[in-house]
Amino acid sequence: MANTFAQATEQYNYDIVRKFTVMTVIWGVIGMGVGVYIASELAWPFLNFDIPQITFGRLRPVHTTLVIFGFGGSALFATSYYIVQRTCQTRLFNDTMANFTFWGWQVAIALSAISYMAGYTQAREYAEMVWPIDILIAVVWVTYLMVFVMTLLRRSQPHIYVANWFFVAFILATALLHIFNNMAVPVSLFSLESYSLHAGVQDAMTQWWYGHNAVGFFLTAAFLGMMYYFVPKQAGRPVYSYRLSIIHFWALIFLYMWVGAHHLHWTALPDWTSSLAATFSILLLLPSWGGMINGIMTLSGAWERLRTDPVIRFMIVSLSFYGMATFEGPLMSLKSINALSHYTDWTIGHVHSGTLGWVSMITFGSLYHMVPRLYETKMYSQRLMFTHFWLATIGIVLYITSMWVAGIGQGLMLRAFDEYGNLAYTFVETVSFLHTPYVWRAIGGGFFLSGMALMAYNVFMTIYQAKRGQSVMDAKIAAKMAQA
Amino acid sequence: MSKETKQTVQTTGHAWDGDLQEFNNPLPTWWLWGFYATVVFAIIYWVLYPTFPIGRSYSKGLFNNVTYTTSDGRTVTTHWNTRALLMQDLEHAREMQKPYLDKIKKASFAEIAKDQDMRAFAYSKAKVLFADNCAACHQAGGAGVIGLYPNLADDSWLWGGSHEQIETTIREGRHGNMPSFKGRFSDAQVADLASYVLSLSKQQGVNPASALRGKTLFEGQAGCFACHTKAGTGNIALGSANLTDQIWTIANVPAQHTIEGKQAAIEHVILHGVSRRMPTWKGRLSDTEIKMLAFYIHGLSGGE
Repeated sequence: MANTFAQATEQYNYDIVRKFTVMTVIWGVIGMGVGVYIASELAWPFLNFDIPQITFGRLRPVHTTLVIFGFGGSALFATSYYIVQRTCQTRLFNDTMANFTFWGWQVAIALSAISYMAGYTQAREYAEMVWPIDILIAVVWVTYLMVFVMTLLRRSQPHIYVANWFFVAFILATALLHIFNNMAVPVSLFSLESYSLHAGVQDAMTQWWYGHNAVGFFLTAAFLGMMYYFVPKQAGRPVYSYRLSIIHFWALIFLYMWVGAHHLHWTALPDWTSSLAATFSILLLLPSWGGMINGIMTLSGAWERLRTDPVIRFMIVSLSFYGMATFEGPLMSLKSINALSHYTDWTIGHVHSGTLGWVSMITFGSLYHMVPRLYETKMYSQRLMFTHFWLATIGIVLYITSMWVAGIGQGLMLRAFDEYGNLAYTFVETVSFLHTPYVWRAIGGGFFLSGMALMAYNVFMTIYQAKRGQSVMDAKIAAKMAQA
Repeated sequence: MSKETKQTVQTTGHAWDGDLQEFNNPLPTWWLWGFYATVVFAIIYWVLYPTFPIGRSYSKGLFNNVTYTTSDGRTVTTHWNTRALLMQDLEHAREMQKPYLDKIKKASFAEIAKDQDMRAFAYSKAKVLFADNCAACHQAGGAGVIGLYPNLADDSWLWGGSHEQIETTIREGRHGNMPSFKGRFSDAQVADLASYVLSLSKQQGVNPASALRGKTLFEGQAGCFACHTKAGTGNIALGSANLTDQIWTIANVPAQHTIEGKQAAIEHVILHGVSRRMPTWKGRLSDTEIKMLAFYIHGLSGGE
């Protein structure tokens, strides 16, 4: 097997891309599986089984970490390493450092999940990792930045392709966010507990500056980078507008940094801070849509391929959900609407229209484009790709609509007064109201998860098929050599 | 956009990875004007609402005064802020509730029961108070849990079921206590006592000889009568249970289908005693709230 994929390996480092791709699929199945389980715990609480390690409170960060950083993060490493090499026409800088980013990242994800289940958490949303894991992540991330930037510097192309701007912005911003949000003093050298360096409302502010930019840079900018390469490649058409890509890139990264405080409306945070965040959220609407327009208009002209090409379908649906989620977001950032939506399941629905609709769908499309090229073969089954598409789409629609019903209903009930000025509902009535939408949400999640499992099967069969094809070829060559 | 324009637009002339190119289409007009519209929106918002830090203070916004009255009667006028909006909401609710609360505060339970407005208001208010304060133990419908929390929806009242008695229970809390009789009697004597207790509420299948021996113990040496009375009807001053009414709050007799099971349930209580505590709600709820709650709980069962 020594000369397997030898040619590609010489020009580009595909080995690292393959490793991250496989882990994307594995974390996807596990992370989404945990998601469906905790959704079911909310609908049927007996599923907690009184086992502390698997109660909702501990499994919830396991779910978010595995899907955002395990699935999403591995997908970003894989695609960014693939794209930067191909668009710079140069091999990735330093294989050892690249390998370190792989192993470091995977270990950090696995340790995080285990530590949450054991009860160790920093209690910061999407940054629950205890301090030693934070340090590991910081080291991995700086290495990632170095590998990426050094590769860009070695490019044999005069211009840097737009996808790479988004990746650099994502890597830089994530380093900044991760380091400043996780500044903490450990209780002692051998304790996993720590005190945050920030206090009170400033701590909350820092946390949501981080939290929203995790959405903005990790789940948006970086995946736009993915979109800017795979959409035009798959459609076989040039990107719609270079000008639009520049304008919306700078607008997006300038504006995102300001909006985190809209997570803290109606709290102890001063009103001016959250008002400012709300207006920047409104300003962010059209820059976000710039990416959607550029993607959809690039696909425009390849519409007939929607019938035959599942990858194009994943892409168009992802862009549509991206547009919808980035419209809903600014809407929810207005204080009057936030008064209804905040602390309800509407927020959960909104996040999932972004993460399932946009992030996962663009990842599925990109992986289906990339996997056959990494292994120099075709996808094992085109039909399974179509099935995956429908399972995922139905799953998202069930998820989002059930959470709209749950969130808006819950919000209205919590603040309803009767004709005497008394609260019309008790808290427990709002809880029992949520049961039905929670069941539908779990069903929607089940659809999405089964699509992900089909993808895993399809990808592994593709790899298996490629390896078998390769070894047959190797054997033939060896036989010919022996004859001669 | 028409096919014609598409063909006339040029690419930037760069190509990556073989065929990756970019058109240089102008910004869509609707997108650009849409963005300008959000800028205008933001600027108006910045002028009208508190938005920018200035030194150690911040811009207060224009034309946005909010006036509200606090619960202690001070009138406050301030620039727009979310806390002031909450205070306005609370003031509004207080104003709606005030006429009813004032009336209820002064009224007797009988007057509340007769006046339709007061009755309806008390139920509307107490329904939520009950669910948020009482239902966690006594359950949503007030049916309680045998062995743990008394049933408030039946006709048996450990501490009395009049409006006033219920009110006292909520305000002061209660401590229900029965000592353990472990080690003080032989197994046979405990069994006899249990037989007698079961016979008081006319349970089927009780051994009459054993019950008779139990009666002697109950009314004599064991001292049960001191709290439960000789007739076994209990004493609301002590919170001791009525044993004659087939309603069980500690021993889960109804769940047992054999006489041995019922017997064992009673023996367990005799051997282990009872210690239940209901906390006081004085200080957590206002007197008027406790009054409405008592009225509501009285209504769960029809009361006494």
